[in-house]
Amino acid sequence: MAWVTWRQHRSQTVAEAGLLLALAAAAFGTRLPIQAAFHRDSLSACLPPAARSGCDIIVPHFEGEFAGWVTAARVLAVLPVLAGLFVGAPLLARELEQGTHRFAWTQGITRRRWLLSKTAFLAAATLLAGAIASAVVMWWRGPFDTLEGRIGPSSFDVEGLVVPAYALYALALGVLAGLVFRRTVAAMTSTLVAFAATRFLVLEFVRPHFLTPLHRVVAATDTAQAGDWVLSNTLVDGGGRQITAAREDLAVLHATQAGIDPHTYILTLGWKRLISYQPAGRFWTFQLFEAGLFVALSALIVVVMLWLVRRRPA
Amino acid sequence: MSPPPIAAQGLGKRFRREWGLRGLTLEIPSGAIVGLAGPNGAGKSTLLALATGLLAPTEGTISVLGRDPLRSAGVLAKVGYVAQGAPLYRSFSVAETIEFARRTNAGWEDEAATDLLTRIDSKTKVGSLSEGDRARLALALVLGKRPQLVLLDEPFASLDPLAGRELLQLLMDGVAETAATVVVASHVVADIERVCDHIVLLTAGGVRLEGNVEQLLDSHRLLTGPRRPLGSIRGVREIVRERHSGRQLTMLAVIDGPIVDPSWTVERVSLEELLLAYMAPERLPTARPPEKVPLRWHG
Repeated sequence: MAWVTWRQHRSQTVAEAGLLLALAAAAFGTRLPIQAAFHRDSLSACLPPAARSGCDIIVPHFEGEFAGWVTAARVLAVLPVLAGLFVGAPLLARELEQGTHRFAWTQGITRRRWLLSKTAFLAAATLLAGAIASAVVMWWRGPFDTLEGRIGPSSFDVEGLVVPAYALYALALGVLAGLVFRRTVAAMTSTLVAFAATRFLVLEFVRPHFLTPLHRVVAATDTAQAGDWVLSNTLVDGGGRQITAAREDLAVLHATQAGIDPHTYILTLGWKRLISYQPAGRFWTFQLFEAGLFVALSALIVVVMLWLVRRRPA
Repeated sequence: MSPPPIAAQGLGKRFRREWGLRGLTLEIPSGAIVGLAGPNGAGKSTLLALATGLLAPTEGTISVLGRDPLRSAGVLAKVGYVAQGAPLYRSFSVAETIEFARRTNAGWEDEAATDLLTRIDSKTKVGSLSEGDRARLALALVLGKRPQLVLLDEPFASLDPLAGRELLQLLMDGVAETAATVVVASHVVADIERVCDHIVLLTAGGVRLEGNVEQLLDSHRLLTGPRRPLGSIRGVREIVRERHSGRQLTMLAVIDGPIVDPSWTVERVSLEELLLAYMAPERLPTARPPEKVPLRWHG
């Protein structure tokens, strides 16, 4: 079966390798100037615990200089779903569409074994590709992450263990969709929708609660600490009631009219800032939880798939 | 005593709301060359797909070489099946296609397959083979498995008559040695008439006629005589079909003895005439008209 899988998926494997090479080349080319700027501005002295004075100017300048690249690199969050669209979805849909399953599934090998061997081979290739992509991105984002932390979604989603896990999940979704819809285009579309929906739901409703968020009360005029993933950031008055944006605006207006500095005024009111956050140090724990969640979902899909492939009329 | 190549018991398959096949009970004798005949949509392809486990029965059971094709799919190593249109991977070369079969079938034997392929360049892509060569390759893939049962679904549909005849001959040569059972589904009776010794005629998802070809031909006669009110005729058990033309009456009948009435001209029938008579939808001697079964499986 290994030969069969390789023969049928070698062009995809080559395309995948090409994509990874292109990614690595792009990362290598753009990383050099970032590294140079990092050293030039001696930003290593600005790392969170021991920030020297002036960092509040240097860091934004450095980040501003490469903001475009960092934004562009966020597109890499779509990489994992490609495994589902171009490898997973056509796996069964193309066979069913072209009728070749009537040839493949009537040989001496059971179709469960056929599907399982193919999925296993492609899953291994996908995990490997995901791990490589993740490592490249982590290395590239290193300078930014040391300043900003990795637990925020813009870095968390493209780094670490979750990248191969997302890719695996997309692959499994694609194969299942191909089996259910039996048409490549329908399978690709539904894979994209289901993948995006799962990612969104997990990001919004599951990931923030992997561990109970920490809370910190700071002076009303302080900002959140860099490196943490801030879940909510609200102003409260002395009695602990939340202050609406309208009330805050009114206070600022009132202070301006009275000729007082708004910041000072707000401090005199006894307002505080209540920050709910996930600390930067929980990055790997969260990675483990989220990757585990997506691997478990993939396993569930494979079970459903193996059950369906025998039951569904072909 | 080995189990029958195919045994079906009350077999039925429903596609959404319509039945493609229903209440089919059938036993194919070992070693027979079976012509599976019937009009398009009669359920021929459905039956073959059920026999290969590509479809799951809605009701009833089917066993192939004594085993359930869906639950013990390993039995398919002994079954050579070519689906309608002989689907193969178009991007594979001939050699790669053979490699595919070699790696997915335990009892694969190269010689049985390659003998058919001597005149085809093994580096040719399947997609660029002629229809005839593709059918040849599909047949080679079947014979390489050293099958005990061969199932061919409309293998001649896209071939010219000469290529079809050649293919049939190759098939017969290929299975002669192993005494495999062969089932050839075709809606063109002439295709299978020459080789089959057993007939299964499906109409509207059920068996209309089944039996050994010789026995069937022996038990049917074409009677021609002057038109008259029909009572019972001595020697005639059942009238399959009658046709009036002017004052002439022609009928196909099942006989159970010699026809003694000298006013009848009695002739033997060909297999084709026999099958066409049974296939014709009108004037069936059955009590209820057959339900219309629209085509679902490519049949």
